[in-house]
Amino acid sequence: MTPRITRRGPLAIAALAAAAAAAVLVAFVLPAHPPAQAFPALVPAAAPASWPQATLPDRTAVLSYPPGLRPIHGDRGTVSAARLGPHGSYLLYLNATPRQGAENLQNWAAFRQRLLRADEAASAHLDAGAERLKFRGGTGSCVIDDYITKIGGHHYEEIACLVQGRSGASVIVGAAPAAQWIQAGPLLERAVAAYLVR
Amino acid sequence: MSFTLTRPAAGIALLVAFVAGCGSTAAATHSSTAQPKPAATAKATQPAAPAKPPAVRPHRTVSPAPPTTPAAPPATTPAAPPATAPPANPIQQGNGGDQDADNNGGPNDGDGNI
Repeated sequence: MTPRITRRGPLAIAALAAAAAAAVLVAFVLPAHPPAQAFPALVPAAAPASWPQATLPDRTAVLSYPPGLRPIHGDRGTVSAARLGPHGSYLLYLNATPRQGAENLQNWAAFRQRLLRADEAASAHLDAGAERLKFRGGTGSCVIDDYITKIGGHHYEEIACLVQGRSGASVIVGAAPAAQWIQAGPLLERAVAAYLVR
Repeated sequence: MSFTLTRPAAGIALLVAFVAGCGSTAAATHSSTAQPKPAATAKATQPAAPAKPPAVRPHRTVSPAPPTTPAAPPATTPAAPPATAPPANPIQQGNGGDQDADNNGGPNDGDGNI
């Protein structure tokens, strides 16, 4: 009985080692969640006249938002607008914030993912990204990603762009519940395309 | 009379219990020889775990709870808080830990998390 076990032992260990090595190889070679979609075409264009505008306090950018959204409280130096649901849930969200960290046009996608995971998201998934996009008054890098919040477990999808203007860089974020992204995405992308930097 | 019957019965019961005990230890030792399998499955599941830890690390302070959150971390700082009671606040910009969307399970804003 014992000899049989001792003969099987090395075989089992070898099989385990091979399986572990294969798992490690797969984990390194294949990204966990490769971007699944192409980044939509963003054509810089002024927002319709009916859209309200909010200017960053440092005057480096102007956020235009659809009439159904209302200005909401945000960090100092930023502007935000949102359409809220009956229980205060976010149906549409737009925010503009002056650049504050080490983000730049080259590292934006990785930076945003890292920020989401370190900040409020339990998980974040990059869906699409693009660099050297034209904006009104500048150039930007953008990502579309989705994430699940640590608080409440809400699943949001967002378009987030770092836009460099002549006098400064800022970030515009448009977000909506991931389940409603098909409807909300085009409207938020329009707001992003209307973002004006100076 | 019942007394004389009870004694042998008790003896037999003790004997049965003893034999059963031996049997169970034998079974235990037998199963202990089969231990490599559970250990192997534990090892197999371990590689999947390391992918997640980075996601559950730091957290912003939830502003509605500032009076209670500072009290909790000193007691349970090592491991417990990450899910609900945020220990460390990586957000130093603006008015970190304010009442904006992403401190309350809302969408994340565009701050740089400096």
